[in-house]
Amino acid sequence: MAIAAKAMQQQSTIHQTSQQEEDIRELAGSHILCEALVREGVELLYGYPGGTIMPFYDALTSYPTLHHVLVRHEQAAAHAADGYARATGKVGVCVATSGPGATNLVTGLATAYMDSTPVVAITGQVGRPLIGRDAFQETDILGVTQPITKHNFLVRNTEEIADIVHEAFRIARSGRPGPVLIDVPKDVQQAKAYYHPLAAMTSDEYLCLHVSPRPAAYLLSHAGQLIAQSQRPLIMAGHGVILSNAYAELYAFAEKTSIPVITTLLGLSAFPDTHPLHIGMPGMHGPAHVNEAIGVADLIIGVGLRFDDRVTGKVSEFAPHARIIHIDIDPSEMHKVKVATVPIVADAKVALSALTEVVAPDDKNVWLEEIRSWEAGDNERLQGVRRNNELPDPIGIMQAIRTATNGEAIIVTDVGQHQMWAARHYCWTRPNSHITSGGLGTMGFALPAAMGVKMGWPDSTVWVVAGDGGIQMNIQELATLQQEGLSVKVAIMNNGYLGMVRQWQHFFHADNYSETPISGPDYVKLADAYGVTGMRVTQREEIETAVQHAMQIEGTVIIDFVIESEANVFPMVAPGSAITNMIKEVPEEKS
Amino acid sequence: MTHSIAPIERAAQSSVPQGKERTYTLIILVDDRPGAVDRVVGLLRRRRASTQTLALVGSERPGVIRVTAQVTDSDVAVDHLLEQLRKLVDVRQAENVTRQHSVMRELALIKINSSITTRNEIIESGRLFGAHVIDSTPETVLLEVTASKEKIDELITLLEQYGICELARSGNIAITRQSSADMEEEISL
Ligand SMILES: Cc1ncc(C[n+]2csc(CCOP(=O)(O)OP(=O)(O)O)c2C)c(N)n1
Ligand SMILES: [Mg+2]
Repeated sequence: MAIAAKAMQQQSTIHQTSQQEEDIRELAGSHILCEALVREGVELLYGYPGGTIMPFYDALTSYPTLHHVLVRHEQAAAHAADGYARATGKVGVCVATSGPGATNLVTGLATAYMDSTPVVAITGQVGRPLIGRDAFQETDILGVTQPITKHNFLVRNTEEIADIVHEAFRIARSGRPGPVLIDVPKDVQQAKAYYHPLAAMTSDEYLCLHVSPRPAAYLLSHAGQLIAQSQRPLIMAGHGVILSNAYAELYAFAEKTSIPVITTLLGLSAFPDTHPLHIGMPGMHGPAHVNEAIGVADLIIGVGLRFDDRVTGKVSEFAPHARIIHIDIDPSEMHKVKVATVPIVADAKVALSALTEVVAPDDKNVWLEEIRSWEAGDNERLQGVRRNNELPDPIGIMQAIRTATNGEAIIVTDVGQHQMWAARHYCWTRPNSHITSGGLGTMGFALPAAMGVKMGWPDSTVWVVAGDGGIQMNIQELATLQQEGLSVKVAIMNNGYLGMVRQWQHFFHADNYSETPISGPDYVKLADAYGVTGMRVTQREEIETAVQHAMQIEGTVIIDFVIESEANVFPMVAPGSAITNMIKEVPEEKS
Repeated sequence: MTHSIAPIERAAQSSVPQGKERTYTLIILVDDRPGAVDRVVGLLRRRRASTQTLALVGSERPGVIRVTAQVTDSDVAVDHLLEQLRKLVDVRQAENVTRQHSVMRELALIKINSSITTRNEIIESGRLFGAHVIDSTPETVLLEVTASKEKIDELITLLEQYGICELARSGNIAITRQSSADMEEEISL
């Protein structure tokens, strides 16, 4: 591939020689960096200045198309870039100075890495003569980020800046996407070099040349045979479907085969929840009928997912009767957790459309009916659960948001119980409308990520659903939202606890609520202090009016929903247990 | 291409079986760019593959480093490790040569205590293993030997009775061979 890239590069060099000669200019490294970003189509950067990145910030004012958002903490810059990338499929860019600025990006980069999102981080570094000498604000950020980036670069001289920027974007976007960090010493930013705008291929040019190959015919026919033979097949769709924009292909495949569809946490909204074939989310907090279906399935078609332990529970008891067709673009995912009978290393979009061609139309209605009957039985059983009817309830909140937005909003969730309630009780229909930190489970992700989402989709309504713990982890970004004039609606499910941890303490640590009760500010006053609107909702019947009111207000709104303090997310699979072994809500329980 | 259509039934899961570890030899070619070797070593660390030997040196291609690593792990884990190594941007090639016809050699420099009475014995023992005398003083003999790891281990055991004052070993390097001669034969030469 690298050779082909080179060839194309040379070709385009020949073609463009005359124009290029005109364009060659001597520029400072900082300007070359900006030029290359512009050529990559970057419009937005999230960042925070400091000593070693100052030359870049100096150059930035000469590039009006590069809109820089001054966050209030570098972690938020990384999450915002990640949110933007998840929502748009474009590369999110964040910038920080060396030392503490760079280390503040770490959690955000790790979050992007775990969920395979294309992010490019640019960090300043101390000047080359000072590297390795414990200079002021020197951190070996290459070493620090090595295991949490897809790749990272130290720019050794000004001449390589443009090439590295384009390579970084290519790496971030191609194959299984991921974050890439570029560390630029201050003197490299200051030194001058000749900039040849067309000498390097942009990531767009590269990706146009490298279309994903179709899976081998024998794999497709083998998969087709397994599908035809199966009585109880399931499709499990993960983040890969969203990353490769394979909604239509998944839809066509599911409809042609009539195989029930499961969407993982990061696969939510890859397939409409309203479709008769959609049965739900698997794993630790999936509804019982989904986990039970996996327990008896004879074929699992996993598309763009990695069989995470929150999905599989005890691996040896996960889908014990099923053969596996595993489609993923990353060869290292094959057989990592479950040995695949048919491993298909390919882009989800390409693989699904190829597979749709080889399968015969089928009707697996009996199997779907069976799953539906379990679901109905469970729903009936849950009718008997006594509930508190006074306080706002998580399900009601999610449904109110859904109704008020017609399902057209993008929902960004944080990490905890509210995340699971949102995943389960919002009806996902708009493709890629669910944004959450799945793999790393990063509290504090939602608010800054929503900023990136909103800037990627300025005309869409963006809701944050967060817990009272997580919202306090990056609350400072209200100032950034306000400064940028952005409107994000924030629903806090305030239970006065680090709820998910408390739930584990309840089930596995004999109700020893060690350090999980948590207090917070008066969110109405806090909103006011930041210049946004705040509301508090303490009655269930006020939910809808509050949500609708929030939608009518122009700017950012925070609604503090005071929910029941000790409600649990059901069902629950204890970590390490088989997913068919669920802790279910019992009708006698007072909640 | 002929491929059997019958599904291959394999173990239900690929989790690393306990007690099934053995030693594998991997050859990894990486571009000589900043951090490239770090990433390879970092991956070995992250995987907690137990690294027995690691040799880093240039290759026949300029700008490409050849890493020979011997790791102890299970079969499944080594396959996954290789796929992960191949994912690293600077890695050009990663192969498990354990099962192929490959030649493995190690270099050892051994400094042994000697006296007038033992000197000749030491040199004679070394000669059996093809060792050369590099240096000798009234108190010590320095031997250089290139052989398989097993042969070197044997020689060291043999020399221990005289007292080894210093030992430097390079760790294995490996190369695959064209001929199909048995690996064991080669080792016993
Ligand atoms: C940065 C970070 N620290 C700690 C955790 C562990 N953790 C997971 S869920 C959770 C509780 C979250 O509490 P809250 O935000 O109030 O949400 P709730 O579960 O109450 O809905 C914690 C502490 C985490 N996921 N991320
Ligand atoms: Mg809480």
